[in-house]
Amino acid sequence: MARIVTLKILRAVITLLIAVSLVFFFIRLSGDPALALAPPDAPPAVVEEYRTRLGLDQPLLTQYLRYIGGMFQGDFGYSIHTGRSAQSLFFERLPATLLLGLTALAIALGLGVTLGLIAALRHNSIIDRFVMGFSVFAFAMPNFFFGLLVVLSGALFFGVFFGGSGATRSFGQLLAPAATLGLAAMGSFARFTRSSLLETLNKPFMTALAVRGVPPRRRLLRHAIPNAAIPVVTMLGLSLGGIVAGAVVTEQVFSWPGIGRLLIRSVETRDIAVLQFIVLMVALTMTVTNLLVDLVYVILDPRMRGGQNG
Amino acid sequence: MTPTRSGVAIALALGVSLPSMVAAQERSDFNFAVDNLWPNMDPVIGISTTGGRVHSNVFETLIQRNYFEDPDGNTLIPGLATDWERTSETVWTLTIREGVEFHNGDPMTAHDVAFSLSAERLWGEDPIAPRGASFAAGLVRVEAIDDYTVELETEFPDASFIARLTTPIGFVLPRDYYEEVGTEEFGQNPIGTGQYQVVEFDPSTRLVAEAYDNYWGSDPLFDSITWSVVSEYSTRYAGLVSGEFDMIVSIPVDQFDVVEQTDDIDLLVGQVGNYPMFAFNTLDIDGMDDNPIMDADLRKAMVMAIDMDGIARALWDDLTYTPTPFNFPEYGDYHDPDREATYGYDPERAAEYLEQSGYDGETLRWHVVRGFFPNYETAAEFMVEEWAEMGIDVEIRIMDNFALAYERPFHLLNMSMSSEFTGDPYRPLWLDWGPGSNRVEASHRTWVPTEDFLEAGQRFARAQEFEDRYAAYRELLAAWEDVTPALYLWRNVQSFAMRDGISFDPGSTQVTVFDDRYVTLHD
Repeated sequence: MARIVTLKILRAVITLLIAVSLVFFFIRLSGDPALALAPPDAPPAVVEEYRTRLGLDQPLLTQYLRYIGGMFQGDFGYSIHTGRSAQSLFFERLPATLLLGLTALAIALGLGVTLGLIAALRHNSIIDRFVMGFSVFAFAMPNFFFGLLVVLSGALFFGVFFGGSGATRSFGQLLAPAATLGLAAMGSFARFTRSSLLETLNKPFMTALAVRGVPPRRRLLRHAIPNAAIPVVTMLGLSLGGIVAGAVVTEQVFSWPGIGRLLIRSVETRDIAVLQFIVLMVALTMTVTNLLVDLVYVILDPRMRGGQNG
Repeated sequence: MTPTRSGVAIALALGVSLPSMVAAQERSDFNFAVDNLWPNMDPVIGISTTGGRVHSNVFETLIQRNYFEDPDGNTLIPGLATDWERTSETVWTLTIREGVEFHNGDPMTAHDVAFSLSAERLWGEDPIAPRGASFAAGLVRVEAIDDYTVELETEFPDASFIARLTTPIGFVLPRDYYEEVGTEEFGQNPIGTGQYQVVEFDPSTRLVAEAYDNYWGSDPLFDSITWSVVSEYSTRYAGLVSGEFDMIVSIPVDQFDVVEQTDDIDLLVGQVGNYPMFAFNTLDIDGMDDNPIMDADLRKAMVMAIDMDGIARALWDDLTYTPTPFNFPEYGDYHDPDREATYGYDPERAAEYLEQSGYDGETLRWHVVRGFFPNYETAAEFMVEEWAEMGIDVEIRIMDNFALAYERPFHLLNMSMSSEFTGDPYRPLWLDWGPGSNRVEASHRTWVPTEDFLEAGQRFARAQEFEDRYAAYRELLAAWEDVTPALYLWRNVQSFAMRDGISFDPGSTQVTVFDDRYVTLHD
């Protein structure tokens, strides 16, 4: 058991290192960062100054080793534009993105599961078809397009601005971007819940419970739903990636001051240290989530302890 | 809203005048949605279109250009300098305005002016703000004579030098505060003498500046101004329609009609002194030994083959046009509306020049940065078709950023040139193409100035009388056209949309100033 856990942690660390290295080298492959950083008409002296300040005049390997070395000492570099540490800029934005992401996840989970349950219980009815039609729409709708529709409709038809400062000045200013961000995940939750519940309801043990005279309400709440929930919980972990990726676009459309906007800004302005730190943190989030899911599987399922899937 | 009785009593007791209190109470906040903000608010380090939308509200220049009475800004008016005089052939003496304070309460004196224009900051070796070097070119001495007198000495007699103090190097920064906090911190927490003091700045979200009550001049119109960064146009528009924003910038051309038809919203579209263009790479460096575009006949053929004015007017719906080279309306007496380009649109002459060139059908690469200049890619496609009809094969390579665009091989390179400077062709023709310029020195340099160009340029820079300067300008221009190292596409267009109740007109500058000279509020 300890060996499996150690191996999985080691694998997570290697994944992170690869992600960080890829970002480090790709930034430097997509054009000279010093040139990209400086304004288009900046004289050579300014470009040279940026190059020296960023250490870009050093050999690539030296830059890389210095970056990795600094990383292990908690030094992730400084924003070339503001002089502030990459961490401070990231953690300053984190609450706004967490608020948006968690609200989106709550909306997706709450509405998605409810709709899925209703569809399963009204199997093959008009409601079922409507819910499934809606879930396909939700899953297929690009969130940048849907976001623009929401923002424009709010302004033109209701005189309300759904874009915003990120401070929850009005419920709509949080709800609109969160619903947009959670839309795709909501569609997935509805479909998974429906199919999982239908499958559970058709299992022999449900028939056995009915024969034993267990009331329908108890059969559903105590037996069917808990069993059907297992794949939905797995989905929850998987949807995290979609939420993180979607936040970049949603924050841009709604002008939400979170990490997604900071990421786009860092790419645009080639703020290397900030960009590298954001990618590292996103990679860390995904890796840790996967690691936890793996570990939970190991704990729950004795068959995983053999190491053949590790 | 009216002041309460107790408020009046307190005001009287404190010696505050009633009108100013009423004005302060009635002021509203102004929210301006912009597409971007420059990350450093030092007005020289942050020279940029997006920075220019903020700078003049927080800082003030020694001398200003009067855009509010003359859209081309050709008249100079006092700013933080109340008077300027040429006390010898090479020395300008400035009288600095008294009673002005910075937003931290420190008085503004000649010592701050001397620091702002110093060698240490702008033009010496390894300066704090190297982007100011070309603006300050020619300065050899800056000295505070007393608290309110500054002397500026130039290398040679320069009759027009004083106009440089209207550019970003003319902004006066607080010496003590700057030296105390350092360059980076100043860029994040700037202090000036302007109507508004910065209270919050996050380059990726917003900058908030509040009215500075001890401002020396007229009362600020607003309680505060917020520059909100909203990069998506539709979101800016939605914010304006819903009343969140008072004004937005950069409306896409294809949205002009929509904005005009929106109730309670006004559209303002105007030309500015900025020109998207492309430079021909006339050099054989970095492995481009057989560069066909080194042939001047080919370059002239390509320029004459294009009906640039026709394309510009069609794409911009007659909102702008293509001026003949360096013949820009913002240059007062230098501007001649009837002057024709030496190598203007003429397909027959273009064919002759192509015939006598050594062009052999090689593919020419045109590096274009994606989406950087509105309408640029579309214009490029038209031009490539026109060249193709003549047998010139040009391939557009769309690049993600300038760093990639600057990598050779390329034969044509997109860029834009600003002409906002001293109200004459000094910057766009001499500073931007002369020795020491990016066109000559940078890694992406594209030409070597000819002897004729350098000789005419020296005369132009040193001429004392307008007639001599004008004659030198025409020769400089002829030397430039003889090489034809670039093609300027059109005079750029900027657009704003604002809610009813606000009238704003910046003239032909991209700088936005929200004081009562440029903004009118009405019910």
